[in-house]
Amino acid sequence: MKLNRRSFLATGAAATGVIGLPAIVKAQPKEYVVAQSLPMTGPFATAGQLVSPASKMFEAITNAEGGIGGVPIRVEVEDSGYVPQRALANYQRALATEDNLVMYFGDSTGFMKLVAPELKGKNATLMGSTSFATELANPEKNPYQYVAGPTYEDQFDILLQNIANEGGSTVAFIYSNTEFGRDPLAHGRQKAEELGIEVVLEESTKAEGADIPTHVTKLAQSNAEYCILQGYVTGVWPQLIGGARQLGLQTKFMGTFWGMEKLIADRVTAEAGPFLEGYLGVMPYRYSYDQEDAPRYRTYAAFQKEHFAGTPLENYMPTWGIEALCSMEIGLEALRRVANKGLELTADNAAEELAGIQDWDSGGFFGPNVSMVSNKIGTGRVYQYSTESGLFEPRSDWLSV
Amino acid sequence: MGQILQFGINGLMSGAIYALIAVGIVSVFKATKVVNFAHGYLIMFGAYFYFTFAVLLPGMSWAPAWYVSWEPAWLVEMKEGLPMFSPLGAVLDWLTNLPRVIIGLIGALAANAVVGLIIERVLMRPLMGQSVFAMIMVTVGLISVMSGGAQLIWTADANYVPSLAPNTPIRFTLFDTQIFLFGTDLVNAVIAVLLFGAIVAMVQFTKGGVAIRATAEDQSTAYSMGISVPRVFARAWVLASLTGAIAGAILATRNGVSPSLGLFGFSVLAIVLMGGLDSYVGVFIAALVVGVLEAMTQWKFGGDWAGIVPYVAVLLVILVRPHGLFGQKEVERI
Repeated sequence: MKLNRRSFLATGAAATGVIGLPAIVKAQPKEYVVAQSLPMTGPFATAGQLVSPASKMFEAITNAEGGIGGVPIRVEVEDSGYVPQRALANYQRALATEDNLVMYFGDSTGFMKLVAPELKGKNATLMGSTSFATELANPEKNPYQYVAGPTYEDQFDILLQNIANEGGSTVAFIYSNTEFGRDPLAHGRQKAEELGIEVVLEESTKAEGADIPTHVTKLAQSNAEYCILQGYVTGVWPQLIGGARQLGLQTKFMGTFWGMEKLIADRVTAEAGPFLEGYLGVMPYRYSYDQEDAPRYRTYAAFQKEHFAGTPLENYMPTWGIEALCSMEIGLEALRRVANKGLELTADNAAEELAGIQDWDSGGFFGPNVSMVSNKIGTGRVYQYSTESGLFEPRSDWLSV
Repeated sequence: MGQILQFGINGLMSGAIYALIAVGIVSVFKATKVVNFAHGYLIMFGAYFYFTFAVLLPGMSWAPAWYVSWEPAWLVEMKEGLPMFSPLGAVLDWLTNLPRVIIGLIGALAANAVVGLIIERVLMRPLMGQSVFAMIMVTVGLISVMSGGAQLIWTADANYVPSLAPNTPIRFTLFDTQIFLFGTDLVNAVIAVLLFGAIVAMVQFTKGGVAIRATAEDQSTAYSMGISVPRVFARAWVLASLTGAIAGAILATRNGVSPSLGLFGFSVLAIVLMGGLDSYVGVFIAALVVGVLEAMTQWKFGGDWAGIVPYVAVLLVILVRPHGLFGQKEVERI
């Protein structure tokens, strides 16, 4: 074939098209976006402001390890004020403005329930959160949402089993009058009955500023051997325990994940005395100081020492930060599996890989290797606070429910 | 019967604290006709100032040892061998914190008074003579400024402060029922009632109080009678700030210090409406009624109802008496 100017250009264009097409089709973005709504203001601002730096650490470490399939990630944090509608607006804004949004982290059960019906088609994104609500662990209904640990019902199961093992026969449930507080009650009642434990009091309180004397009086009258506290973060639970101890009650107090923070326990002990001695609770993850069998924690610790020097995060990562990190690591694992298969990072592909996470080595968040079952990881163990050491110390083996 | 008394007393103690919170709203309204929506945040500042002087400053390296923990030999000797959570132990523990508590309270009162004066001088006084609605809107804007400001200064961390009084349990039997009370709650309630009484007496019997009442009746006439209305405004704001500081310190000892303390002001607003915006006595009665209703509802129906029933009562009172129980009915002359 004679090569003239016209045929040269035509052949050149065709060749470029053939060679370049796959690259165009599989064009890799410059970056992927992981967006978050955190309560930087409002009643749970304490938690939000500590989680935010942890998210930036997650971004830096993920990118240092090659991002997702070689593409770096960018973490974007917006304030929700712990108002589900504001978090929803944040999510919708992220969808509208970020072309490569691959994962979202929500800050409450309320937000996760509010956003669930919207997660369809192009509006769907892989979504972890701070919530352990039972309703979220339902892949048939919410395939894109997951719980980074055992649900509140599972946590109640672990605590009630612990009470039964210790020979306990009566329990009180004290909970905040929020969705978060009420979540595991019906299941807890049923489980207690199965185990032969009598629920002698179900007491609802305000989430903040509860009338401690009235609640403690009712607890004293119920004569409960054990009391499970549910639905609190920074307040109420320490005051309830303090009040009960002042009245001389021997009730053993137990908490679920959000009431198990060492920073709070330490501050209460410093100002009010050793009321929290012996306080028990369920923790899905190791505490950040338990690094021996947790290589991932050691990586975080090295980063924290270097970048958070002089802040409370220099030597300790609060459980709230650990939970957010674990949730994002689970999402990252699913997204990396999608990328490794050469597939597009769609919410559907990510959800499929998420459901396939089995026998996963989390790098030490959980004791044993864990599996995602019904979009949750039902593993945890019982810890107990010691006012002398200022540490939550393990009181059981890792339990799976 | 014993049970009713137990929960009734619990309710009265909560009600006394509501009254102390409400007195600041009434003071400002009486003098200026402004409903201060930001009063809860003034209380939050009081709590944070108490935290600053009672916890943060003693934690500084330069703080003298007695400020951090007062431990004279006799006190150390008495504490030795006491069992954990013993009543005497609670009193002695509190005594070691006494310098922090006193300095914390004085610091909170002084600093909050300055905040009140700044708000009055910088935000309210320039609006004198303008519509009251504009001033009310300023207090709404103040909520965001104070809430954001507190987080910038103290961060959003939840913190705890020493009790204003020893938290010794008090037990006695009444109608064959064992009654429990917390010492610190009893003292808090007594402080609240005494302060409330002092303020009512001040407004009723002192020259400054007469000036506040005269200004509340009619600002123009008060001016023409030689009363310095700007000074009355300033005095009302300082009064609100001072009671706010004490209320903040009490709330901090009950609930810890966090930005959510500011929200207490809103729950008390309903009580103020029930009692009558310009009536100290009405607000005091309303606060006690709401406190008792809350405790009784909590006892009989649980917490889910406790948040509703007292406020239904408030609504009913307002329906029957729109100016509140003892509020002054305004006569509009055309």
